[in-house]
Order: sequence, then C-alpha cells, then structure tokens
Amino acid sequence: MILDPCLLDAIIEGDGLEVVFQPIFHHRDDGWRLHGFEALTRGPRGTNMEGADVLFEYVRRKREESAVDRVCLARVLKAARQLGSAPRLSFNVHASTLGRDREFVTYLAEMLQHHARPASRFTVEIVEHAPMWGGRSFQLALDDLRALGVSVALDDVGLGNSNYRMILECRPDYFKVDRYLVAGASRDFFRRAVLRSIADLSGSFGALVVAEGLDDSADLQVALDEGIALAQGFLLCRPQPAAILKAMGLLRDAPVMAFNGRRALAASAGASA
Amino acid sequence: MSLTHFTNATRRILVVDDEEVIREATRDYLASHGYTVDCAREREEAEALIAKHDYTLVVADMRLTGGHGREGLELISWLRECRPDARAIVLTAYASPELERESLRRGADLFLEKPVPLSELAACAGRLLAEFA
Repeated sequence: MILDPCLLDAIIEGDGLEVVFQPIFHHRDDGWRLHGFEALTRGPRGTNMEGADVLFEYVRRKREESAVDRVCLARVLKAARQLGSAPRLSFNVHASTLGRDREFVTYLAEMLQHHARPASRFTVEIVEHAPMWGGRSFQLALDDLRALGVSVALDDVGLGNSNYRMILECRPDYFKVDRYLVAGASRDFFRRAVLRSIADLSGSFGALVVAEGLDDSADLQVALDEGIALAQGFLLCRPQPAAILKAMGLLRDAPVMAFNGRRALAASAGASA
Repeated sequence: MSLTHFTNATRRILVVDDEEVIREATRDYLASHGYTVDCAREREEAEALIAKHDYTLVVADMRLTGGHGREGLELISWLRECRPDARAIVLTAYASPELERESLRRGADLFLEKPVPLSELAACAGRLLAEFA
C-alpha cells in the first residue's frame, strides 16, 4: 500500500506556491491612480489547492495558519521585488496567526528589512474565519504592527466574523468590503444602503474603504457615489504576476486610465492572463 | 450523449482515499459513467472541498492518513451537519458489524467492505443518486 505524502508538508515547503498581485485603484479628480497591490497566493497548479479558498480552508482545518502565513509572506516579498518598493503592498494574515504566533510580527519586520520594503508602504490584511478570540495576544500583535509602521486592513467587513466587534478590536486603517456586498449594489437598494453605512463608519474611524470584487461598471459607480474611492476587481484588473503588471505600465505614478476607459485596462489585463 | 450521462454530469462525487491507485481508479471509473468526480487524500482536504462544492455523494475510506483510523467516519459526521442532503458511502477493509452500525449511526447511507468491485460501487452510487432525480 503506497500512501501519499501529507499535502501540508509540501505547502509548508513552498512547493508550487504561486504569487499574483491585484491592483487597488484610487479614484481622484484627475482619474484613476494606482494605490497599491494585494498579494494573493495560489496553490500548486492542477491540484485541489490551486484555488486560494480550498488551499486556506485546508490550512485552517490543519490549524497551521501561522506556518503557512510565514511561507506565503516569504514568497510574496520575493515576488514583489519586481514591483519595486514604491507601490503599497497588502498581504493577508489570519487573525489566528497574530493571536497564536507571538514571533510573527518580528518575522515580518525581519523579512521587510531583508527585502528592503518599507513598513510604511505595507498593509497587513486581517482575515478572520473563526469567532474572535486571542484577546490579549492578538491586541499585542496589533500594537506591534502599528509600532512597526505597518497599516492594518480588515478583510471581508460585514461578513462572518469581520463584524463590529472585530472592527473595534482592530481599529483598521482600511475597511475591505467583500464582493458579496458590492456585487449588485446598483440594482439593490439595501446593498447600497449597507455600502453607504460602511463608508460612513469608516469616516468615523479615519479609515479608507476598498470595494472588492468589482466586475460591473454600474456597481463601481454606486461605490464611488457612496464615497468609496478605492476599488479592486476584475473590471479594473485581474490578479497578475508581477512581471506582467510591470509590463502593463502600472508602476508609473500617473493616472492609469480615465474613468470611462477602465474597460480597456481590464481587457488588456485579461489578454495577458 | 445519453440522458443518463447528461443527468450524471450534474452530480458531483467526492472520492476520499489515501491510496492513490484506488483513488484514481475510482475517479476514472465513476467519471466514465458521466459523473463529475473530485478526489481527496486527507480528511481536511475533503472538508475544504466540501466547503466549496455541493457534492451529491461522498465516498470515503474509513482510515485516512494522519489520523487514528476512523477519519472517514468523522468526515461523514461533519458532512451530515453541513450537507445533510448529500449521500455517503463508507468503505473499509476492516469491516465488522459494530463498525457498520457506527457508520450508519453517523449518517452513512451505505457501508461496503473492501475490496469493492468498481462496477458494484458505481451501481450503489447510481441507486443512491437516483433519489436526486
């Protein structure tokens, strides 16, 4: 009987992990500008782990979030070298990693230094898939992140455990609004009301809001109308390897497109995929 | 394409076994009957897939890598909680009346002793999934 090696061992070794980056755009009076990139890790191609949702659900069920978050961080910072140090970079970290792994922030600081990436241009996106826990150690980790100069984003605001309590615990610099709330907002009065509520709430916190998962221009317009100026989604640009984003000219500090020209950018990104 | 194959293609089956040869043979045989088939080698991998996809049937070996010998039964218990409509078959080379009772108590629809001819497994799957027609 030949049994397969444990998948987790291969993941922690970093075998086959791929990193792509999805731009986050900022709408300003003179057009759209690049705000930063969210780093996204994919599992080995052709396996069940290729999709991030299955990969990280597996990791959470193995309770190995911390080990895998560390591996992903190393992979992301290495891959991000091609983007240069100027663009803001966002990286997803499990809340459980911050709560359990007391050395994670120290590891992050060392890795940022090693890759010459300024902490002030780095955002930790907290993903929460379990009820809020960790209490004191989680708070200490957040304090350490802020002392380091790293910004904090709360992912999937309004869904699951990214709730009001989590908002109060994290005091995020960014509220990231999930596709579930964004998609269809142009046709749904109540979704739009929720977006407006989150935009108002973020203002009280002095935070910025990112509308995620945008793939409809009408929904994008609604987000803008409700005061959400940061946007991310297939409509604007699909996640891409760093080399392709560089070739697309997204790293220049200049308006990347007119508002009504976003389709052209999305189309060019799709062609490069 | 026959009507049977058309219907089966809308039914997604998850095969959970830590032996690659058995896993792939089962996948290929069920796929040849028109089913959409995914495979997992570990309980946690299976759970991650079940969290994402709507499986109509889960075929699980009772013993999986990295556990204590009853991982398949624990998977079925969890499946019953999160996907109560899905059908479940437990396979084992260590069958006993007690294990069969335990499997059915946890929510398995069928308990089969290995080795199971693939034709028999496919026939069992077909009977269980006929209820979805």
